[in-house]
Amino acid sequence: MEKIGITTTIPVEVIYAAGCIPVDLNNIFITAENPAALVEEAELAGYPRNICAWIKGIYTTVLANREIRRVIAVTQGDCSNTHALMETLHIQGIEIIPFAFPYDRDYDMLKLQIEKLMQVFGVDWEQVAEQKKRLDKVREKVWLLDEKTWRENSVSGFNNHLYQVMCSDFNGNPELFAQEVKAVLEKSTPLPAGDEIRLGYIGVPPIMTDLYEYLEKKGARVVFNEVQRQFTMPFATSDLVEQYRLYTYPYNIFWRLQDIAAEIEKRNLHGIIHYAQSFCYRHIQDLIIRKELKVPVLTLEGDRPVRLDARTKMRIDAFLDILR
Amino acid sequence: MIFGFDLGSRYVKLATLAEDSFNFYRYETIEFYKEFGRKEQDSLVIDFARLGFGETGKIISTGYGRNTVQIQGGQDIPEIKAHVYGARWQTGLEDFTLLDLGGQDSKVVLVRKGRLLDFQTNDKCAASSGRYLENMAAVLGITLEELSKYHEDPIDLSSTCAIFGESEIIGKIIEGHSIASLAAGVNYTIFKRIKPMLSQLLCDKIIFTGGVAHNGALKNIVEKEMQVEVIVPQYPQYNGAIGCCVYGGSLLE
Ligand code: SF4
Repeated sequence: MEKIGITTTIPVEVIYAAGCIPVDLNNIFITAENPAALVEEAELAGYPRNICAWIKGIYTTVLANREIRRVIAVTQGDCSNTHALMETLHIQGIEIIPFAFPYDRDYDMLKLQIEKLMQVFGVDWEQVAEQKKRLDKVREKVWLLDEKTWRENSVSGFNNHLYQVMCSDFNGNPELFAQEVKAVLEKSTPLPAGDEIRLGYIGVPPIMTDLYEYLEKKGARVVFNEVQRQFTMPFATSDLVEQYRLYTYPYNIFWRLQDIAAEIEKRNLHGIIHYAQSFCYRHIQDLIIRKELKVPVLTLEGDRPVRLDARTKMRIDAFLDILR
Repeated sequence: MIFGFDLGSRYVKLATLAEDSFNFYRYETIEFYKEFGRKEQDSLVIDFARLGFGETGKIISTGYGRNTVQIQGGQDIPEIKAHVYGARWQTGLEDFTLLDLGGQDSKVVLVRKGRLLDFQTNDKCAASSGRYLENMAAVLGITLEELSKYHEDPIDLSSTCAIFGESEIIGKIIEGHSIASLAAGVNYTIFKRIKPMLSQLLCDKIIFTGGVAHNGALKNIVEKEMQVEVIVPQYPQYNGAIGCCVYGGSLLE
């Protein structure tokens, strides 16, 4: 079965319908033994220092995994760096399949994009619908895991992050992944509500590995992971196009904020951590986020895949102090 | 006796409090760890006898180093919290914007009714800190005290980076600007870096602390540009250490 690289969440139903295995390149980059070395390698190849480390990590990851010959690149709705990333991969012999989320969330445009993708993979709507049913069953389990996180405190913020983020590709094997989720669910036991600070995490997933652990050590608990949750498509719709239209991440910030504000209410969050990746355009949106959200916001910036630095810890401590 | 340690990047500041009176000591950070500290397991054991103290007491610490070292037998508190305690104690104020410019860090903190409400810090760049002033004074061949006198007729520096700033100012020296203008330009550069943070968290009084608060020109600039009163407490550099003692002795509330 052919492995297809993806740069972010795309309609994976199409890939599974074709009997291929989607591979979220972000996930293999960040779980590699030494992700920082992958970033450095891209810099040795000529990637500028002041470019997002995710992009550099993905570049090296694709080249290091020779069984990946085709990559679906989200050219609209994710990151404009992807364009140059794809071009640098193209000259290394990788086939690039572009996919665009229309900025205005136009139904027909999105449908057209999905159909183009279906054409590339030679599948029809019936096959895709079948995969949606298959994947929704797995997603349901992860929705439950998310619910247990905020309702019962029985799943840690890190596990909430991890299992939701993996829904971009279901780790290449949805049923096996579902079993893993089931095991976590079975092990979870509700904790009485303590005096922990309830936090939401918004923005792209963190590049530093120990953020959740540190927050927990300091008496805070992440009970909402915005983008990761979006990867699980938590929408009750049987229409695949509509599903990817409701998905907030690739569209404008105001659409995302509606979702965030609703979850702040529902989950009773005390504060929000907005993560911004160094050199990422999304950093600019911080000023809108701060203006629009009703709870205190701490903006954290991360550059390379290393552990939290002293300054970031100091800022977290002060933020938790404010919330206490 | 209460010992309040502010473990800074440049200096370790110590305030001691006994019977309502404070004493202050300052050590070079590297010197301090080499001469008076010893690591035992995960904590730092301080040689109080060697520091010249016959007795020990309650120890509260804060500062940059506190994530890497925990003083044995001591309690550590978040840095910004220590500074807020220090500023409240030193000025008696409960509503203010705290501006703390240290050796490598800049912080702006909004305090209302004595409570920490919001804060901002500089990001991985030392261009608004004491280190930048030290470098620039060295390039200009003047002392920090001299540098701190000028705020009028500043030359324009692009202020992007503490290191590039050096070559930029060398260029200006060659162009023949006066030392006064050059120094004023350096002081203004600091202001430009902190202005966005200050603007967002401004209130009608600014308490200015940290080693850079000794720079009188900068105080003038902030006052003039932000149109608010700027208060430099008696011991700006020991503010964090004082805050530790105040916290340890429950001197406030
Ligand atoms: S973090 Fe920002 S810059 Fe980096 S890949 Fe994602 S969108 Fe692009």
